[in-house]
Amino acid sequence: MNGRVTRLLAAGWLAAQPMCFAQAGEILVGNDAAILLQRMSDAARRVPYEGVFVVQNGSAMQTLSIFNRPTGMAKESRLAAMDGIQREIRCSKNGSISLVTKGGHVSLEKRLNSRHFPDLLPPNAAQLATFYDVRLGEPARVAGLECQQVELTPKDAFRWGYMLCAEKNSGLPLKAAMFNASNQPLMQYAFAEVRIGGSPKREAEATPTNRPAQAASDSARPIGAESVSVKNLPPGFTRITAVKRTLPNKPGEVEHWVFSDGLTHISLFLEPAAQPIESMRGQSKLGMINMAKRQVGSMQATILGDAPWAAIEAIAMGLEARPETVAAHGAAR
Amino acid sequence: MTLHAMTNQTMHTQSEPNDMQAQTLSALIDGELSDEMANLAIKQLIANDAVRGHYTHYIAIGDAMRGLTDQPSGFTNRVMAALEKEPVVLAPVRKAGNRRPALWLAAAAMTAITWGLWQSIPSTQINAPMASLRQPSIQSSDAQPYLAAHQDFAQAVISEPEMQFSKASLEVRQ
Repeated sequence: MNGRVTRLLAAGWLAAQPMCFAQAGEILVGNDAAILLQRMSDAARRVPYEGVFVVQNGSAMQTLSIFNRPTGMAKESRLAAMDGIQREIRCSKNGSISLVTKGGHVSLEKRLNSRHFPDLLPPNAAQLATFYDVRLGEPARVAGLECQQVELTPKDAFRWGYMLCAEKNSGLPLKAAMFNASNQPLMQYAFAEVRIGGSPKREAEATPTNRPAQAASDSARPIGAESVSVKNLPPGFTRITAVKRTLPNKPGEVEHWVFSDGLTHISLFLEPAAQPIESMRGQSKLGMINMAKRQVGSMQATILGDAPWAAIEAIAMGLEARPETVAAHGAAR
Repeated sequence: MTLHAMTNQTMHTQSEPNDMQAQTLSALIDGELSDEMANLAIKQLIANDAVRGHYTHYIAIGDAMRGLTDQPSGFTNRVMAALEKEPVVLAPVRKAGNRRPALWLAAAAMTAITWGLWQSIPSTQINAPMASLRQPSIQSSDAQPYLAAHQDFAQAVISEPEMQFSKASLEVRQ
């Protein structure tokens, strides 16, 4: 199939009509890729749905229930783990909280971000086409619904690849998988059952225990003067967050910066180095999460994210102590 | 090859160990030989000064990696410099069937020693399991707060990942 036909077929799907399945494998060019990505992104936020999805990460698997009511005063979404520790994530127009029940005790924590499957693509998803080749894949069936597979192949070594399967009519991602450069799946999400449209019934507001929940901790505050600068970020990455906050099970405050290309998120934690820091590299099973630790001036920098080592290393290597900080640190000695 | 022929070939006197000698010494230290082969290897070890020298050398390397630094001047530095040239292995690696001496150094860092074999060789040193070599200075538990905080931006991964750590060279290139 030539490229023109592919574009026409893709354009037909992009017109918010039931999807015309194009032949798999060809890279979408021009605005087609951008429009396709944007449609999937919009659907995840604007379409009401409820269902159950499964997350597979290596040999670990978890099942979560989800409902999303995207409009009106009570706009909200809720995820609840159906196995393991009782944990919920609730997102509303006021923000996002994590609610964990352990040993009959409920704790709430404010989250800095509302992102969750199937809402993985950024609001301005069209920009991703700059950094990923976008291909239409084969038609597939997930949770009893027909969907169109869409491949996002990174154009460089700074991000993982993705395969999404967008529901035929709405464009809602029913399945998402993250791949490394060898096309090995690192993590997968897929709806086991889903109901799209209508008005999802409101879930019970009560917490899973009768004990009152602790107040949500909201420790995040502005960082003030920056002690470290970042040079040579990987292409497309910008800083989207920079706050001072406390971390779970760790005394003291740290600075938490987040860099993102819209799909990949990398955290940088900065804190005073109590002693000389030995540079370390960490990696999760399958290599999905990479992590680095090094000293920058008088600070300890910890960089981690669901990103290839190349991206973590580039950010780690691009950190520099600001001269005034170095001078102040020297004078303090 | 018969057991006798192999051990003879392995333990004959040479200034540098060949592949087979290195494999047998490595297997002996790792406790991977059968009792019969281990007995033969130990007899050869006792009878042959050169092979015993290689064996002592390997043991010294292990000691140096554990920080037991009662070694000739510069020895530890040379060993550590050699180790630095080895690639960092972040994932469990299946032992190759065809072992080579150069790989043994890296493999030794990850391999537990059979205590019974150690006890059969007179030694005044305190021995620790080789698996404890290259003990990282950061543990998963140290990383947990950062991983948990990053969950705000991760894709709703609710379980915390298990991390492995190694030293890294992250010096800024000017």
